[in-house]
Order: sequence, then structure tokens, then C-alpha cells
Amino acid sequence: MAKPAKSGSPAPAKVSQSTASPTIIRKHEDYTSEGVEDYDVFLLPGSDYQAMLAVTVLATIVRLFRIYQPSSVVFDEVHFGGFASKYIKGKFFMDVHPPLAKLLITLAGWLAGFDGEFDFKDIGKDYLEPGVPYVAMRMLPAICGILLVPTMFLTLKAAGCRTMTAVMGSCLIVFENGLLTQARLILLDSPLMIMTAFTGLAFTSFTNQHEQGPSKAFQPTWWFWLAMTGLGLGATASIKWVGFFTIAWVGSLTILQLWVLLGDVKTVTPRLFAKHLVARIFCLIVIPITFYMAMFGIHFICLVNPGDGDGFMSSEFQATLNSKAMQDVPVDVAFGSRVSIRHHNTQGGYLHSHNLMYPTGSKQQQITLYPHKDENNLWLLENMTQPLDISGEPINGSLAWDALPSPEFIKDGDTLKLYHLTTHRRLHSHDVRPPVTEADWQNEVSAYGYEGFEGDANDFFRVEIIKKMSDGEEAKKRLRTIETKFRLIHVMTGCVLFSHKVKLPEWASEQQEVTCAKGGTLPNSVWYVEQNEHPQLGETAEKVNYKNPGFFGKFWELQKVMWHTNAGLVESHAWDSRPPSWPILRRGINFWGKDNRQIYLIGNPIVWWSSTLAVAVFAVFKGIAVLRWQRGFRDYNNPIFKRFDYEIGTMVLAWAFHYFPFYLMQRQLFLHHYFPALYFAVMALCQVYDYVTARVPGIGLRENPIFGRLGAIVFLALTAVVFTIYSPLAYGNPWTQSACKQAKLFETWDWDCNTFLHDYSQYSTQSINANADVHKTDSPLIPTNAPVAPAGGQAAQQPLIQDHHGISEAPPPVVSEPPVALPVGQSILSREEKVEYRDQDGNLLDPEQVKALEGKVSFKTRYETRTRLVDAQGNEIPQPDGAGVAPPHPDVDGVDSSTLGKPEPESQDAPVAQKEVRADESKEESIAKSDKGAAKPASEGNEATGV
Amino acid sequence: MSQQGSVRKRKDASVVGKSKEPAATGIAAPRDPDLDALIKANLEVKSPDVEWDYRIAITVITLLAFVTRFWGISHPNEVVFDEVHFGKFASYYLERTYFFDVHPPFGKLLFALMGWFVGYDGHFHFENIGDSYIDNKVPYVAFRAMPALMGALTVPVVFDIMWESGYTLPACILSAFLVLFDNAHIGQTRLILLDATLVFAMACSLLCYIKFYKLRHDPFGRKWWKWLLLTGFSLSCVISTKYVGVFSFVTIGSAVAIDLWDLLNVKRRQGALSLPEFGKHFAARAVGLIIIPFFFYLFWFQVHFAILSRSGPGDDFMSPEFQETLSDNVMTANAVTINYFDSIQIKHKETHGYLHSHPDRYPLRYDDGRVSSQGQQVTGYPYADANNHWQILPLQAGDEVPGRHVKNNEIVRLRHIVTNTILLSHDVASPYYPTNQEFTTVSVEDALTDRFNDTLFEIRIENGKPGQELKSLSGQFKLIHNPSKVAMWTHTTPLPDWAYKQQEINGNKNLGQSSNIWFVDEIPSIPKDSPRLEKQERKVKSLPFLQKWFELQRAMFYHNNALTSSHPYASEPFMWPFLLRGVSFWTQNDTKQQIYFLGNPIGWWLASSLLAVYAGILAADQLSLRRGVDALDERSRARLYNSTGFFFLAWATHYLPFYLMGRQLFLHHYLPAHLASALVTGALLEFIFNVEPILDEATIKAQKKLTGTKKHLPARQKIVGQSLLASWAALGVITAIIIGGWYFFLPLTYGYPGLTVPQVNARKWLGYDLHFAK
Repeated sequence: MAKPAKSGSPAPAKVSQSTASPTIIRKHEDYTSEGVEDYDVFLLPGSDYQAMLAVTVLATIVRLFRIYQPSSVVFDEVHFGGFASKYIKGKFFMDVHPPLAKLLITLAGWLAGFDGEFDFKDIGKDYLEPGVPYVAMRMLPAICGILLVPTMFLTLKAAGCRTMTAVMGSCLIVFENGLLTQARLILLDSPLMIMTAFTGLAFTSFTNQHEQGPSKAFQPTWWFWLAMTGLGLGATASIKWVGFFTIAWVGSLTILQLWVLLGDVKTVTPRLFAKHLVARIFCLIVIPITFYMAMFGIHFICLVNPGDGDGFMSSEFQATLNSKAMQDVPVDVAFGSRVSIRHHNTQGGYLHSHNLMYPTGSKQQQITLYPHKDENNLWLLENMTQPLDISGEPINGSLAWDALPSPEFIKDGDTLKLYHLTTHRRLHSHDVRPPVTEADWQNEVSAYGYEGFEGDANDFFRVEIIKKMSDGEEAKKRLRTIETKFRLIHVMTGCVLFSHKVKLPEWASEQQEVTCAKGGTLPNSVWYVEQNEHPQLGETAEKVNYKNPGFFGKFWELQKVMWHTNAGLVESHAWDSRPPSWPILRRGINFWGKDNRQIYLIGNPIVWWSSTLAVAVFAVFKGIAVLRWQRGFRDYNNPIFKRFDYEIGTMVLAWAFHYFPFYLMQRQLFLHHYFPALYFAVMALCQVYDYVTARVPGIGLRENPIFGRLGAIVFLALTAVVFTIYSPLAYGNPWTQSACKQAKLFETWDWDCNTFLHDYSQYSTQSINANADVHKTDSPLIPTNAPVAPAGGQAAQQPLIQDHHGISEAPPPVVSEPPVALPVGQSILSREEKVEYRDQDGNLLDPEQVKALEGKVSFKTRYETRTRLVDAQGNEIPQPDGAGVAPPHPDVDGVDSSTLGKPEPESQDAPVAQKEVRADESKEESIAKSDKGAAKPASEGNEATGV
Repeated sequence: MSQQGSVRKRKDASVVGKSKEPAATGIAAPRDPDLDALIKANLEVKSPDVEWDYRIAITVITLLAFVTRFWGISHPNEVVFDEVHFGKFASYYLERTYFFDVHPPFGKLLFALMGWFVGYDGHFHFENIGDSYIDNKVPYVAFRAMPALMGALTVPVVFDIMWESGYTLPACILSAFLVLFDNAHIGQTRLILLDATLVFAMACSLLCYIKFYKLRHDPFGRKWWKWLLLTGFSLSCVISTKYVGVFSFVTIGSAVAIDLWDLLNVKRRQGALSLPEFGKHFAARAVGLIIIPFFFYLFWFQVHFAILSRSGPGDDFMSPEFQETLSDNVMTANAVTINYFDSIQIKHKETHGYLHSHPDRYPLRYDDGRVSSQGQQVTGYPYADANNHWQILPLQAGDEVPGRHVKNNEIVRLRHIVTNTILLSHDVASPYYPTNQEFTTVSVEDALTDRFNDTLFEIRIENGKPGQELKSLSGQFKLIHNPSKVAMWTHTTPLPDWAYKQQEINGNKNLGQSSNIWFVDEIPSIPKDSPRLEKQERKVKSLPFLQKWFELQRAMFYHNNALTSSHPYASEPFMWPFLLRGVSFWTQNDTKQQIYFLGNPIGWWLASSLLAVYAGILAADQLSLRRGVDALDERSRARLYNSTGFFFLAWATHYLPFYLMGRQLFLHHYLPAHLASALVTGALLEFIFNVEPILDEATIKAQKKLTGTKKHLPARQKIVGQSLLASWAALGVITAIIIGGWYFFLPLTYGYPGLTVPQVNARKWLGYDLHFAK
């Protein structure tokens, strides 16, 4: 508050002054910047193009050297290769990254004849034998990586650097091990880098045009680079969302430029200013958004078939996929309708029953959620009372409504019985705890009765339409297919029919549990009718189907799902790292290891450290400059000083925009997230070098360019040598243990030297030991954390036997002896199911004891649900089926949303043990319970006690 | 403005020295050195100007504040919302039993003090919302009086902030009324909650800083130091109540930074400061606003530790060393030193699973095709079982005297008693973690021969000294496999059916993880009457304060971050300024009474919309300035940017950071920001209704001619000639509406009377989820 407002030059003027965007100019009467020349990259002398060509050739050699090596799946090729095959087959998948780079990789593979038959399932899986055109697919990132080099060259030229500096900068990129490693594999980072760099080039060129003042404004070059900036931004954001940081960078500098324009009262009339503004809005906002959405348009065009990403999307979305679409169904639901009822909040499927009993609780017939269409999903909706015929006598039987003169529609508040057609039992609930969620506020739901049984009061469910979620006036009043969302309230106990992502044990084929939850408004208690059939509603009845969400609907839904999935990637990964460790290159990522070779992502320490140093030097310089300015020194009157401040400031700003936001991200991060920032840091380094050796007068270097050249050559030579030292890790080349140990400067560079052989000669003679007997733990192939479950509830709930219609899955329980009773040494290798009998202390009882007790006591059978994990949303964390199947680099594909918030095993600082599981269960309980409406304390202090 | 007006102004200028507070111009204070000198010279002169109108207003407002806060404070006579927590903590303080909470102790200590004053013994533990205070004989009115007192005092402090900043009476009254007639402030400060203390201390820190800033022309004077230190003390109270108090530090810190930046300016109107002088300014503020508050903060923890000397529900959160400082702690009391050849049960600290084995073997091939050793399974099992019993054997079994204690860093072997096998780990991947080693057992013969090395484990006690004896319960250790240096570890993902969904146990290469810690839970081999179980009188140990404080601090931050669970009435920050939903605190079905925590919607919407207006004014001013159009007079602009800007900064720093927080958030987190927005509202009332430029250009020129310099006048005196009628009229209208809204929602704030269904529905404005609507 303390700052006095200086009339006419309030605070922001200071800012613009300090960043040396020249507002007060002596030479120019307009907004032209002082000390700026035309650095148009199209007008360079021929020798510059030759130099550029030379470095590009060098880059090509370095990038393409043995690109066929390794001939097996490396790291995230698992995902991106996999996406390529899904694109080719058109199977819908969910990924947290936008589609552009994946589409390009697919294109490369498709052109080379890839048929999508290879699944890229595991790191280390062989490419050669199935004949995957992996070299072609790797060529795309490689070409992007090669192009990065001339782009760096041109950007430095566009920023006004000398050719020598530009060559130095591009060679630093050539000899950057990390960029090289990424550019040789089927990964997204190389396309991301080239698009980021291209945006940097376009914006630098545009800035150069802009700073030359009104004479250049709205000229073809000016337009060209502005449009290219927009296109670059669109492309960058269409590869990874990190591109939004680039947008933020360009955006903030554009606002600064507009601010400068606004201050030019002499030449920039309001009309002209509006023109400037509109041009930028069009090029920097409209073009990128259009491009981004166009990419998703192609994405949707390619993916027309159902796939493993379905589970993430809404039913409306899924209905747009081939073969998931359904026939139009009659819209009105009446008494006597045969309906299938679908759960709204989870993708668990339809209310289902089958001719199997609960082994616990009431031992009545099971009710589950089943994800597939099946005639066991069909329910007949009966009125509470039987209809009367003309003479006033009730018509008996469940089909009584078919004979009525006209269908009686079901209204809000009607009480129903739900009659299961195949087993002739009715949906039923009572005060018995459900099999898995044995909470007080949950009741079991079962199917009860027999053919001809007229039901009892526990079969009554009242329909309560949720007006807010129902679509259309009619649907708010009476039950309509799809349009109406409703709750089913059990009349006797007041609980609501409920399901959540908790799976029943094997006796119900791991289908989803259905319970009756006491309490008011739970999102998990919302249902709707999907299939509907009534004999009296003929062909002409009003039909309904899922609304087609349209492109924008699908686009927006996918964005939301991507965002949530992305934010949910919080599990720790064996090779993840936090932002503070990046600029100092603390650790890398283990990509691949096989046959005594290794690929490990590590940067060239010379490049990393010197670029970080350049940023640090500039930060110190800026701090001193601002302090001196406040103390009245006139440094900023010197154009060289001002240009240094502004030009390097621009690149350091880009570095900051691509680096600091990661601090705010809770999701898992990797070293390669630093690459865009690194690129700009290298740019800053080169510019600093250029200023020191060629522009700043008085230190003698400008006058003797030989020193500058010499310095650059020495620096490049050093970089190249260091590059060579670490190159075996990038190429997957043979290396020796001793060389490896020498190169391993820090313990935190955690590649494993023991992988390598002792001598290069051994590599030529080694026999490839493909099938080792036992997996040694050193194998870095598969990162440590628990494998990621396949996406979505549906994928996890595939029916075990597909064509098994009558009864959906439930193996008969096999009772076997408890393990204690086994003689020592005997081992049982497989076992489907067992019942353990325990006494009240939890001790196992052996069969004799059990027999003796039989009849005297009642047994409570517990299934092994105690170690069940429930996350904050109350979703069960699925057990890792097929440990190590999918490499859990979660950057990509769908972590099942149900794994969100899984207690992290790696937390270093946990000072206190917590009963996580119980705490989570109680959490779930409290969420659900609280809907009773009673007030509830915030979980401020108490919850932390966990007991 | 007529020429007459400026004449009067000059007259006023001559009496400026007589005003009570020479710098009563608020933030937009004069900067002329000569004027400063004048002011300094007149500092001692006592002023007769006592501003009676303000004094009367503040008295009335204070009275109203007490009435609104204390009215019906005994209702409801049941536990409401988070009284569950803070009432309980007060009881723990009074019982002196150790507890753990994520909030710093100051606010809770105040409650305990109150309880101690009225002689309450802390027998009631506030278990559930709705528990009766009457039946349990809790002096809850005394407890509630404490926050109510704070809440009531907040209102005059708000008035005083505006007064000190030199706003006109209507502006001061409006700001105070926005807080006075606000249902959220009333509701939150009538209950046993920390927010009253927090908001009061936050308001005090703003007031103290303004007072301090007004003394900037007399640096390092006695009063200057007084207000500096008081600012520091208030800040310390804010942060010692809740950690969101750090936002107040940000507010004051930013203002101080801007102030220091100006002091550094060579073109400063009062003349450039030399760097040593600047250093002195800097150091004084650092000491007064950072170092001293930090010591206060530590002091409350010292009080906390001093009071809580007995073992209690918070023990489990602390390390064994810490627990030893608490008297009658169960864990240390029951600890038994472990001897070799004892059979023990080893429990995992984090998941509470026991180290377990049974005769089944690992399957040869896992689902993913990897191959196991097919050894006997070693798993984690959460229930007591004979299969959890392991006999601890020394390295050389032969020449051992029975009864030797197991010590830190010794190499041991573990024999599974039921199957008579020895625990072993080897370089085979575990079922789930290809990077972790499998744990299995081998027969005794093998263990003595070729597998000998693989059966060796080192006991590494956490924070243990060499030679320290391993004790059950209190001795937390890592079991390190000696040849391969991996730590025994387990996690909660259950194994498949072949291991009965028990926990996987494997060898973790990352030794540092705290999840590697195990402890001996029980020693079943000791007979019940063994002398080893006899307990000796135990001395309560002591730990250095800083060590205890560090440990507690770490635990608090860790658990604070873990508070991410959902709550039915939690809200998102964007909802707060618009008051989209409240929090249900308490309901009573019989009488249809309920307390629903909610602000006064009209007041909140007014305050929030004026924040947007403020931002708009600033943007418009900047843009027009950039185009060379100067629309504001200097005084209005200075006031708008400095004084109102400070309030706006306070709002922003107390509000925006919540967007970065992942934890559970509630409406009451907005209360400090709401207070700041009320200040902005008052300031803008004055700005909008006194837009008439005080000095037009002609007058300024005339003045310059006359005196050679501009005269600076206290803000209030400058507008002496202006009619405040517009302001008063606006105030009247706004007040009427605010009071109307306040009164309308009052039954939800005080919890009575109970409302009928139509009455409830009438109050469901933005879908407020009220009860008894049906």
C-alpha cells in the first residue's frame, strides 16, 4: 500500500520500463524498439544456410545412428505404440494426452504397413519376430528431433545472434543425450519439442517484426509469423497439455506488446490498436483452438469402435461407437414393462440377478450389477397391487398388466415391485448386512420368492424421480426410458437402492455389489431405464435413444475425463522425480534393459548445468539491475543493456513458464517434463554467450572475435566428449562395467552398472539369454509400483465365459481344508475357493473342531475382504490382475479412476502408522451416512487420529 | 469547487497541527518534508479534536456487536458441528492428556483457559454432534463466551481500521455494519470454534499495521516500535491459531515489501535514504514482524507441552522417544526387553499386518509369466494366529547363554515355529514387485548349510544407539536382510487367492522408507507369571523442546496434507464470494430447529460485486492513463491505490491461495477475506459518492502560485466542505437492506425459532441445502 501513486506513471509503467520494452524513446517517435534490426530468417546470407545444413546433417547422423536398436519395446512405447495399433483398428481408448502426436506416429506406422496386430504389451517385447515396422514409427520422433536442430539455429538467428552462436546452440541440441534418447523412441516428447521450438521461432520472428515499429506492422512477414505462432501453439497443445505453458508465455508477452502499443499515443490510433488486438486474437486464440479441436475431430473419426476406453465415458458417448449403439426403445414405462435398469454413476452396468444364492446373510438369490446385456437384466415392473378386471376382481399373475385396456404409466412416487423374469423372484431388501460392505447403514438386496408368489412388503420400492437430472418436462413427472433418472426407495426400511465400485467375491463372478443404503441423496443411488418393452406399446409408440452428444459434447466430455484422469495420476512411480531435481540433473529414467545393455534417460550434464547457470546468472543480473534502477542508476538508457535485459528476459521467462508450474502439480512427474524448459534455457545460454562475446563493449571480446570462436569450439568439444561418454545409455550400445562406473559421477544417477559386461569383446560372443529361469530383482524393466488396472469398470468385469447366457458366472464354492491342518511340507498349488472357520479370536479351527461345533453355534462366514482397499471416493481399488502386465508408466492411459487416492506406499515422511484401510472405510461410511442430513464435523483434528 | 473552498482549505491547513493525529490522512498521507517537519513539531500538542461523532458511532456499534453475538448464546445446549473437536481439545488440556491436532495450540489454549477459569475439569469429551451439555454438566456458555467476545470485538476493530485510514463516517459505518450484521460472522463466533480468534487477530494485525504505517514520518520512535511489535504479536496470534494465518503474513509482508521498495527509491519525496539507514529499516521490520512472532509461536507450543504431560489419545502419532516423555504411557510401560530364543510376533507399523507364514508355496509361475522360487509363502496377516510366531535366533546358535538380550544392529535369524523353517530372502523377484526381493522360508537343514547367508537379518532400531536393547512395542526397527541389504516391507494390495488375499511381504531396496518399520507386538513364549513382565517404576524422560517441537510440527504438516477426504458440506473457493452454499451445523428434529452456517447473502453479494467494481476502476484508470487521459485527481487516486489497494490486497491474499489447496475446504475459510472485502466496500462507498474532485486544476495552480507548493490536508478535512448527504443516503439504503437480509436468515444462525416448511423454502435462495424443507 505504501507506494505513492506518481501521477501519470503508476506502477505498471515501471514494469514495462524495467523489462526495457522501450516506452520512452529518443530516437523513435513511435513504439519501435531501440537497437533492433531486421533479423528475418528468410533473408539470411547463403553461408548461414550452409551452416544450418551442416548442423542438420550432423544431427541426422547422430539421431539415426542405429535407430533399429533396441529391437524390442522400450518404456512408453508400450503406450504410444499400443495407441497406434488401436487407432489402426479404430478401437476407442482413453489417454491423458491430446491426439496429434499419436496420430502422426500412427500415420508413420500405417504408411510402413503396420496392421495394428502387435499389442506393445510389455517393455522388452520383441519387434523383429512379429515384423512390426518399428523403425518407421521411430523415424517420426527422430525426424522431429533432427528438425529441432535447425529450428534452434534459426531461432537464434531471429533473435539477432551471430552465426557462430547459432551453430553452437544447435550443436548443443545435437549433443544433448536426453533429447537424443527421447527422439529415438516412439514417444511424444520429440514431437512436443519440435512444436514448442517452432512456436518459439515463430514468436521470436514475430517479435522482431513487431519491434521494428509501424512500418512492418501488417506486412506479409508480420502476418506470416503471427499466424505461424498461432499454428505452433495449436500444434503444441495438441500434443501434450504442457503446450498450455507455451501459450501462457506467448500470451503474457503479447499482452506486454499490446501494452506498449497502447502507450504509443502518437502513431497508434484507437482504430489501429483495435486492428492489432483483433489480429492477435484471431491468430493466437482462434487458430490454436480450431487446430486443437480439429485434431480431436480426426481422433473421433479414427476411433469408431468400442475399446478399452469406453469405461471412462458416459453412456451417451458410448452409444456413438459402432455396435454399442442400441435400437430405439419405447419411451414410456408402464406397469408391466420389461425393463433393464442401469446404474448411472458407475459404469458397472445393469441391475442383474441370477440363479445363485448369497453364501452369507440371508442366503437368498444374488443381486449384482452386470456390465453386459443379458436377459437376466430384465425386470418386469409390477404395481403394488394387482389390477382389477371389469368385474372388479383382481387379475392375478405378473403378466396381468399386459391384458389391461391401456398401459398405466409409472409416475413419480408410485410403488413398484420388480419381478425378475428368468428366475421369478422379486427384488427384495431386509435388515441384513450386505456381503462385502458390512456397514450398519447398508442393507442387503436380494431376489426372493418363487413362481406364483405374490410377494411381500419387503418387495416394495417407491420410484422417486430426480427432477434435476431428468431431461424434459414429461420425464420429470413420470418414468421415461433414458430420460428419467430416479431412485428406488425401499418402502419398509426407507433405504435406497445403491451400488458402488465394490466387487463381490468370486462367487458372484466379481460383479459389482448392489445394496440398499439408508440415507438421502447419494450419487450412487441413481438409476435409469435403458431397455423397455411392453406388449401394449406397439411399433408406433414414441421411441427414444441416447442423445447423440455431437462433436462438441464428445469433445468437452473427453476433455473433462482427460483432466480428471490426469489429475488422478498421483501414484508414485519408481523413476519419477520432482521439479527441484531437474535443473541439476539429479536422476534420470530407466527406459529399457536387456541383453546386458541399457537405455537410461539422462541429459548431457554440461548442457544442463551450463544452461541452468545461464538462467541463474540472468536472475542475479536482473535483481541487481532492478535494485540499481530503484537507486537511480541510468543503466536502462544504454540500448545494449536494455536489449540484453529484454531478449534474455524473454527466454528466461519461457524457461520459467515451462518449469515452475510443475511445482503446483501433484501428479507424478518425470525428468523429460523439463525438456521444453531446457530448450529455452539453452537458448538463454547462447544469447548470453553472444552478448558477452560479440555485443557488450569494453571487455575486449567484441573486438577480438577469435576468443569468442575459440571459446565456443572448446565448449562444443567438451560437450561432444561428454556426450560420447554417456551415449551408450542413449543408444543402448555395449558398454563396460568399468567405463560405466567411471561415468557414474553421482549415486543418484541410478542406472545399474552391473547390467553391463566386463569387456566389449564379450558382447560379440554373448549368447542371448532370453528366458532366464527366475526373474532377478535387478531387472529394471518393469517399474516397481503396482500395475495399473485396465481402464474402467467394464474392462475389469469381463464375463469369464462369454457365451454363458442362462447363469452369469459363479463357480460352485469349493470347500477345502484350512492350511493349518496341512501336514508340514505339503503344498497346494492352486485352489479356487475355501471357507475358513475361525473362533472369536480369529484362530483357525480345523475340520474336526468345526464338525464338533456344528449345530451348537452358528457360523458367520467371512470372505477375504478384510484387506480390501477403498479409496476416498468409496471405490474399491481393484486387485492387480496380472501384475506387471502393463508397465505402469501412468503418464498415459487410463489409470482406472478407482485407483485415485490410493494410499501411497512410498511416502517417506509418514511419521505415524495409520490404519489406512479402516480409515478409508470409515470415510466412505461417513460420506454415505452424512446424507442422512445430520450435521457432521469437519474432519479437522479428529480424523487424523485414524482410530 | 469554488475559490472560497480553497480559501477555507488553506485555513484548515494552518490548523493542521492541532488535529489529534497529524497523519490522520490515512495512507494517502502527505509527503512533503516541510510538512513532515511541521507535523513532527506539532506532535506533542494535544489536540482538542476528539471526533465525537466517530466515538459515538463506535460505542453504539460495539454495543450492537455484543448484543448480536451474545443473544441466546446458551442455545442450543447441545454439541454443534466442530465443537466436537475444539471442545474435546479443551477437555484434554484440562485433563492434561496428550492429544494430537493439526492446528497450532493458541486458539485451543484460550478455550482451555476459559474452562480453567470456571473450574471445569474436562470430564466431557464432546463425542457427537447433538450430545447434551446440560446432562453432562459442561459450562458451555463460558466456553462460547470466549469466541463471542472475540467476535464482538472484531466489529469495532473493523470500524477503527476505517477510522484510522481516514475514511468518512458513513464509510466506516458501512464496513462495520457489513461485519456486524453478517450471519456468518455471528454464527461462527457463537460456537466453540477457532475462527473467532483467527478473524479477530487478523483484523487486529491490519489495524496495528495501519497505525504503524501512519507513524512512518517518525521512524524508530517509541510509538513506531509499539505498533510494529503489536503488528508482529497480532500476526503471531493469527498463525498460532490456524495455519491459514500465514495469509495474514503475506498481506502484511507484501505491504512491507512495497514500503521498503519505496524507501529504497532515490527519488523518494522525503529524500533518498542511505543504504545503512535502509538496512536499519529492514532489520527493524524483520525483527518485529518475523523473529519476534516466531518466538511467540514457539512459546505457545512450550505451553502446550508443559500442560500435556500425561499420556492420551495423541500418543500414537508420536515417536517412542516422545512417548517416553509422557507419564503413564502404555507403550513404554508394557515394553519388555526381548531375549534370544523368545518367540515373537512382528507387526508392521503402517498396515498392522503380522509377519506370517503357512505351508503353502508360491506358485511356480505368476500370471505375467515370471517364475518364483516356489518357496514357502511368507505373507502379512492382520489377525493373531499361531502362524505369526517366530523364534528369534542368534547368529551362532550353539554357544549361547539363554536370556541374552537382542541388541541393535545384531544379526539374527527367525524361525517359523509352526512349520519349523527359517526366514530367508534371496534375489528372486517378489510376486508383485519385480524390483523387490521375495521372502520365503527354508528348512532348518538348508538354513544351516548352503542357504546360511541368506537367512541372516540385521535388526536396525529406528533412531537407535549402538548396543541398545530391542524392546517389544516401543522398539521400532527395520529388518534388513544382511547379504543383500533389503528391508522387509509390506503393502496393502492383497495377493491373489493362492495366498488367501493376504499381504505380500518383500524386500525393499529403498531402506529409508518409513513404511519399512516393524515392531514386536507380543512375546507369546513368556509365561504370564514371568518376572520379565513385572513393571518397574518408570521415570518420565524429557526431551529438548526443539526436538519435540520439530517432531510435532512434522506430524502436523503431514496430517494436514492428508485431510483430503470429502465432506457433504465442503465447498470450493469459487463458491464463497457468491455464497452459493453453507454448512449445516446442527439440527433438531423435534423442534425443526437448525443452525445452517451462512453469510448474509445481500451483504456478501454487495461486498463481492464491489470487489469487481474496484478491479474495474483500476483497470480503466490504468488504460486511460496509458492513453494519456487523466481522469482522477491525485488525492482520489492515491487513496484508491494505497489505502483501498491495501484492503484489496488483504482480500486477495486471504482468498486466492485457497485455490491451491487440495484439502477439504469450508465456507468459514472465507471469513477473513470477507472482512477485507467489507473494508473495500466501505472505501468504495466514499469513492463513489464523493467523486467530485476536491481540487480542480485551477485551484491547484492558484495554490501553487500562492505558496509555491501544494498543501496536503488530512483527507477528512479536505472534504469538510463537501456534503456527505449522498453517502449518508446510500448508507441508509444499504443498511436497511443488509439488516433485512440479516434478520431474514437469523433463525438459521441462532438455531431458533424452528421454521415451518414454507419458511424454510423461502430461505432456500441458491439451493441452500436446508433441512426440514419437506
